[in-house]
Amino acid sequence: MLNAKPTIKSTLKALLYLLPMLVISITFSIYPIIKSFIMSFYTKYDFFKDIVSQYGIDNFKFIFADPDFHLAVKNTLIFVVGVVPLTVIISLVIALLLNRIKWLAGFFRTVYFLPFVTSTVAIAQVWHWIYNSDYGLLNYFLGFFGVNAISWLESPKYAMLALIIMSVWKNLGFNIILFLVGLNNINERYYQAAKIDGANAWHQFTNVTIPLLSPITFLVSVNGVIGSFKVFDEIFALFNGTPGPSKSALTIVYYLYQKFYTEWKYGIAAASGVILFFMILLVTVFQLWYSKRHVHY
Amino acid sequence: MEVTFKDVTLSYDGKREILHHLNFTIPEGTLVSILGPSGCGKSTTLMMISGLLAPTSGQIFFGDQDVTKKDALARKVGMVFQNYALYPHLSVLDNIEFPLKMAKVSKKDRKKKAIELAKLVHIDDQLDKKPGALSGGQQQRVAIARALAKEPSLLLLDEPLSNLDARLRIEMRQEIRRIQQETGVTTIFVTHDQDEALHISDHIMVLNQGHIQQFSSAETLYDNPSNLFVAQFIGEPVINTLDITDFAGELDGQIDADILQRTQKVGIRPEALQDHNTVANTLATITTKVTRSEKYGREKNALLEFHGQRLLTTEVQADVTDGQELPLYLQRNGVYLFDKDGVRIFGGDQDA
Repeated sequence: MLNAKPTIKSTLKALLYLLPMLVISITFSIYPIIKSFIMSFYTKYDFFKDIVSQYGIDNFKFIFADPDFHLAVKNTLIFVVGVVPLTVIISLVIALLLNRIKWLAGFFRTVYFLPFVTSTVAIAQVWHWIYNSDYGLLNYFLGFFGVNAISWLESPKYAMLALIIMSVWKNLGFNIILFLVGLNNINERYYQAAKIDGANAWHQFTNVTIPLLSPITFLVSVNGVIGSFKVFDEIFALFNGTPGPSKSALTIVYYLYQKFYTEWKYGIAAASGVILFFMILLVTVFQLWYSKRHVHY
Repeated sequence: MEVTFKDVTLSYDGKREILHHLNFTIPEGTLVSILGPSGCGKSTTLMMISGLLAPTSGQIFFGDQDVTKKDALARKVGMVFQNYALYPHLSVLDNIEFPLKMAKVSKKDRKKKAIELAKLVHIDDQLDKKPGALSGGQQQRVAIARALAKEPSLLLLDEPLSNLDARLRIEMRQEIRRIQQETGVTTIFVTHDQDEALHISDHIMVLNQGHIQQFSSAETLYDNPSNLFVAQFIGEPVINTLDITDFAGELDGQIDADILQRTQKVGIRPEALQDHNTVANTLATITTKVTRSEKYGREKNALLEFHGQRLLTTEVQADVTDGQELPLYLQRNGVYLFDKDGVRIFGGDQDA
């Protein structure tokens, strides 16, 4: 019955339906989140006996004073600012081009989608070769334009750029697919109406495509921001288990990983995780607020 | 602006022709309907006038200018789409302003013009709303205002009323007529609804299977249908159609023998079957049997049987009971004879 009022029995029944997913979420998401929040306040902790003898905010004090953490935050922000806009723009342009061609469109879609289904480690290995300062393809091509060989992975100056280029490329495939879906959802009638109204190709793009694609652009950028803030495996794989030459690619998650797995400072690792959580939350809330005014559903 | 089609043909894939050798002229300042059943090519014709579709062969003229090669951008017509195609992200005002913005009209002037148009179509109290928040009728008014914004010399309407409910449809078609007369813009109106076409237009072009069946005024279309298709398509209730072989000599002597010889189909308008004799106008008398008579509102219909065929009449004055025999008088001005190709060979003004 559509108008049935909830009863204790019906609520219990609903709970039963929810139970399988609830068990999994609570065990693997909710509990770890709460636990890491609490853990960030552990100041004296015996890991082997799981005894916490003191709570406090010393962990936060430590990371706020730690130059490594400052560097990690800076690098993370550079990475986000470098990767997200480039990913959005390049994948939109490629999607627009793919949308135009009829010939072999499916083939190209598959080619562009491949990076998404390939393991990060394999991709990083390939880029390792591309970036090789002596025999790498990239330096080979740059050589045509008279650019001297760049040691992409060994120089602290270029390591972040190398990481950003690889990450943008890796993100393209999935975002192109999303943009293609968005483009196909725009009714042809709007373009016809725009033509009738005197809009040339560029005006059709800015007045029809861009606004009507905004929900997808929003999805892609929120997704990209969250994913980029959490970057880790690309760094680990590209720089062979180091945070880049002289920590030039040290990000927050990499910092967290080091504190947790190599230094066994669980409280500090948890505290940096909490900071990351709030940074992502802040940016996402800002994006949501922005989207209320500029995204047209 | 006058629109002329010269021998225009369109085929989508090069094999299947949608429109065959269209030739017509739409006079300046008139409201012309293109009427036909679904898939007859009427929207396609409109798309070719707008420039969104190019003809496969033939020429299109606006006035004496050949626009065949020009696209929609260059032709500068106004168009209202079937589903309105209002930009969902723009307010009503911005939607109406859009063509002016594209024409690089200054911000102040285009706002003034847009408000003027909004007043013309009675939508000026909804300017800040998004199209999604408007009813179908309001959306349609916005679409008309937008189409009129750049003062086109030609306004195209593609089934603009088909998404509205019955009462609103009647209101809006009067509105379109009013706006057309106030602005004097040449208007082409595509519809599959004969009632709409008959009420709104100066001239109607009846299209079927990519051929123009007849292009004339509403009255002529009804009184002098040029062929069986037009006779059957125009008129509500539908004209009674019988084979000439269904008659047992009732028409003999009333109509020239050589015409009867060539006749294949006989069309009789429901109002041309009277149960009372008006001698001067009576062509023949037939005897029928009442199967059913029904009355709703001011409509009174009787279903009859005539030599095993069904007939419908709206002109039975006497009270009749089902199963009763009823002599009917065929009125001269509602009987048409068609030859084997469906061409009218008797009836209408020529034989009145």
